[in-house]
Amino acid sequence: YKASRFSPLMSVVRHTVITLPTPVNISTWWNFGSLLGVCLAIQIFSGLVLSLHFTAHTDLSFYVVIQSFGDVYYNWWFRALHANGASFFFIGLYLHVARGMYYGSYVFKEVWSVGVVILLLVMASAFLGYVLPWGQMSFWGATVITSLFSALPIIGGDVVIWLWGGFSVDNATLTRFFGLHFLLPFTVAGLAGLHLFFLHDQGSSNPLGVSSDYNKVVFHHYYVLKDLVGVCFFVGPLLGLVYFNPWLLGDPENFIEGNPLVTPHHIQPEWYFLFAYAILRAVPNKLGGVVALAVAVLILLYMPFSPQTAIKGLSFYPWGKALFFSLIGVFILLTWAGAKPVEEPYVVVSQVLSFLYFSYFLLIGPLTRIQDKLL
Amino acid sequence: MRPSFLLRKEFGNLAVIRGTVKYHLSPLEQRAFAGAISQGVPNIFWRFRQSFFYVVPPMLLSYLVYYTAEMEHDRLQRKQPGQFDHEK
Repeated sequence: YKASRFSPLMSVVRHTVITLPTPVNISTWWNFGSLLGVCLAIQIFSGLVLSLHFTAHTDLSFYVVIQSFGDVYYNWWFRALHANGASFFFIGLYLHVARGMYYGSYVFKEVWSVGVVILLLVMASAFLGYVLPWGQMSFWGATVITSLFSALPIIGGDVVIWLWGGFSVDNATLTRFFGLHFLLPFTVAGLAGLHLFFLHDQGSSNPLGVSSDYNKVVFHHYYVLKDLVGVCFFVGPLLGLVYFNPWLLGDPENFIEGNPLVTPHHIQPEWYFLFAYAILRAVPNKLGGVVALAVAVLILLYMPFSPQTAIKGLSFYPWGKALFFSLIGVFILLTWAGAKPVEEPYVVVSQVLSFLYFSYFLLIGPLTRIQDKLL
Repeated sequence: MRPSFLLRKEFGNLAVIRGTVKYHLSPLEQRAFAGAISQGVPNIFWRFRQSFFYVVPPMLLSYLVYYTAEMEHDRLQRKQPGQFDHEK
């Protein structure tokens, strides 16, 4: 007797994580998909617990968050887990996307497109969540980013007022941000299911970029155990931060209550948005900066339509590999530049780095096809 | 029961292999981690050497850009000789 023979739900589970044909040679870079699922579960669970004690009101939020540390058993742990879990979510996201760019996973167009939508929704969710404690950086970050929509021609001003629910970032903004921050992760969870659905239509890719239909193994036990090892290596450092240095990645400005009358010297987002922040500030024109910010993420949607190579991925393309790791260096430098003040030489450096960032997507296709033609 | 939408790529429906004979040992007749240390550890060094000249030069260049920018910023923050001569 096996339950999966009679139950449709168990049948789906069996085909998804037990008997799923999986390439025999997928490496650690393929662990990040399951890790992101674990991250999402951690964020939803810890977020639910935090929401039990949170009040979304400009007069109360800041003090409720601080007071709950002392009054609610282990709330300090859930808050540290949620805040640092967000950082680890983005570490996983960026490494997952980097794997996709390096190994040519974007040829799975539906999987890739749903993945980009997931990335955008997670970014939106993280931005909304950061506003909730109503610290200085929460308030001013919300003001800066929502004000970007005023760059839209003709309707920009009205859109911003509509978003704010008033004439500035105030209580109406905070309450709707709380509602949206609660809703979006469940949308992400649904899209993650769709992401997996499209992936399992064709099966996972592999580091060699060739068809793996000739050599596959069952997912359970091999990749269940491999994913568990990945979870241990991922959750270990997360808990290390939670217990030993929970504010390492945070901004001390957010321990001051949000004040519309006092502007912080250096308004900056959390580290995972700094590369986009650097690109936004690199363009002298407001609308141009907003467009560059959007394109910096949306350009990923171009990748399935870039010129395809004879062998999927960059494993066998030396110039492509060199360009890819240059992009990694540019991305790290953009993250550094996004935290710097708007002074020389950081302005020029940001502009050059932004140009190099976008150049990668234009150069990688022709560079790899040249090698195909030469060989 | 198999849902119809899952009938695409499954064992028995993956690829047609002709002219190939596969042999394998039963898992019960071999060591589970054979060569994990004796071949696995040298393989770590081999994989490191293969990727070294793709990863390290861009990272070194990035560090040089960072270092130069920070030094230049510190220089621009200091008073320059003759900067306030017009105020004398």
